[in-house]
Amino acid sequence: MTATEEASQPGQDASADLALRGIVKHFEKPGQGRIRVLDEVDVDIEDGALVSLLGPSGCGKTTLVNVIAGLVEPNAGTMRKGGREVTPADLSLGYIFQEPRLLDWRTVRRNVEFALEARDVPKTEWDDRVEHYLGMVGLADEHDNYPTRLSGGMKQRVAIARALATEPEMMLMDEPFSSLDEITAGDLRQELLDIWQAEGMTILFVTHDINEAVFLSDYVYMMSGSGQMFARREIDIERPRHYDDPAIAEREAELYGEFHEHVVQ
Amino acid sequence: MNRLRRVLWSGLSVLVLAGLWWLGGRALPEVIPGLGETAAALVVILTEPGPYGNPWYYHVYKTAEMIGLSLILSIVVGTVLGVALGTSDRLERASSSWIYGWLAVPSLVIVFVMAVVVGFNAAAGYIAVTAVITPFVALNMWEGARNLDPQLAEMATFFGADRYQTFREVIVPQLVPFLFAAVRSALSIGWKITLLVEAFLLPRGVGFMFRRNFDNYDLTMMMSWLVIFVILLVIVEYGVLVPIHNRLTHWRPEVEGVRVSE
Repeated sequence: MTATEEASQPGQDASADLALRGIVKHFEKPGQGRIRVLDEVDVDIEDGALVSLLGPSGCGKTTLVNVIAGLVEPNAGTMRKGGREVTPADLSLGYIFQEPRLLDWRTVRRNVEFALEARDVPKTEWDDRVEHYLGMVGLADEHDNYPTRLSGGMKQRVAIARALATEPEMMLMDEPFSSLDEITAGDLRQELLDIWQAEGMTILFVTHDINEAVFLSDYVYMMSGSGQMFARREIDIERPRHYDDPAIAEREAELYGEFHEHVVQ
Repeated sequence: MNRLRRVLWSGLSVLVLAGLWWLGGRALPEVIPGLGETAAALVVILTEPGPYGNPWYYHVYKTAEMIGLSLILSIVVGTVLGVALGTSDRLERASSSWIYGWLAVPSLVIVFVMAVVVGFNAAAGYIAVTAVITPFVALNMWEGARNLDPQLAEMATFFGADRYQTFREVIVPQLVPFLFAAVRSALSIGWKITLLVEAFLLPRGVGFMFRRNFDNYDLTMMMSWLVIFVILLVIVEYGVLVPIHNRLTHWRPEVEGVRVSE
């Protein structure tokens, strides 16, 4: 494994790095009392990087992403960008959920336009953006079709196009391929990398799949089941990465070992 | 099964029914009016003015008017009530048994009480019909409001959709099938209550004509009016409800289990 200096991503700018410090979140569960879902979490998301949050189910990774997205209010902690304290409303974000979450009663085009309308993008730009981003995910011909007539992979692509159309600086992705079959998921991972390299945005990717995290990311944050961020590990494998690269399997085994150590303490 | 076959099967079932009717008329002539006599009576109804000099379509119109307006009123009240119950836990706990109670009161009681309180007039009729069918709408809309998808709401919140956009594009389309079910059940009960009101309280309407002919023990005329009424129901069903339903659900997959694109 060599630490390679990657060709600098367009848009890479240290003053745009997002830094979270001391994020705490607890939930009241009836009958179980208070559960600490995020325990003093510190995260640095470098501008233009593809970062994964890796951990077992229920470890709080989705909650952390929702804190950044503004869907969940943390009980403590700060978020800073380029040194300045920011709130989710100050950030330019896109979100891909685990389910496509499309409006079944609207066409693919209208689904993308939903996000454009919600974000107050001027109507004159709509047609161009819809065409451009649907084309980017390979669905240019489906714009008048309905989500109920699309496969799972295509629906998720529409969701990706919808988020991209708002031209965010950072994409939040919560296990977006976990409900797809492995073949489709593999295709979409590669497409995601192509889009990432073409558009140059920052990606925060949540997953429980170590292989996926190693394949996609620049570096990985590892979370334990108790809401603690216990490690950050660089994935120093040259791009483009290939599924059959032994370096990936090696790195995967190393990370797996670390999880095992940490979680089975 | 394509359209033509469906129509042919429907036609066949109507013919079978007519055949049974004809047989019944021959076998039990005191009880079941014959097919031929009913058809003759139908012609009389359609061509000559009835009691008080009112033609047949006046009665049909009055009946349709009463159920129509009551339906609209009950949709408004029932939707507000149902959505409020579905979205507020507190309200639901406080009022749910009350709604079920409302549903359980016999409609005849409601009609008579309205007649006593408001009078033997059309106003009592409108209030009574509305009062009887509103809980049906409320219950359906309650279910609809409870079944709203929180994931879609979260998606809309994330993208920053304002209240109006969320309501228009996310909430209302989810409520539409429930509204449709509400209208169907309210309408099916509503017709019956309207006829009841007209039979007991009013001097016009299809219900009144039934009562009138019943009082004269004119089974043939009653049967003819029944035919007219059924035709009205069929027109409303296939002329109004089915097209609206098709329009509202055209985004659904046409054939189960078949993906059109892959």
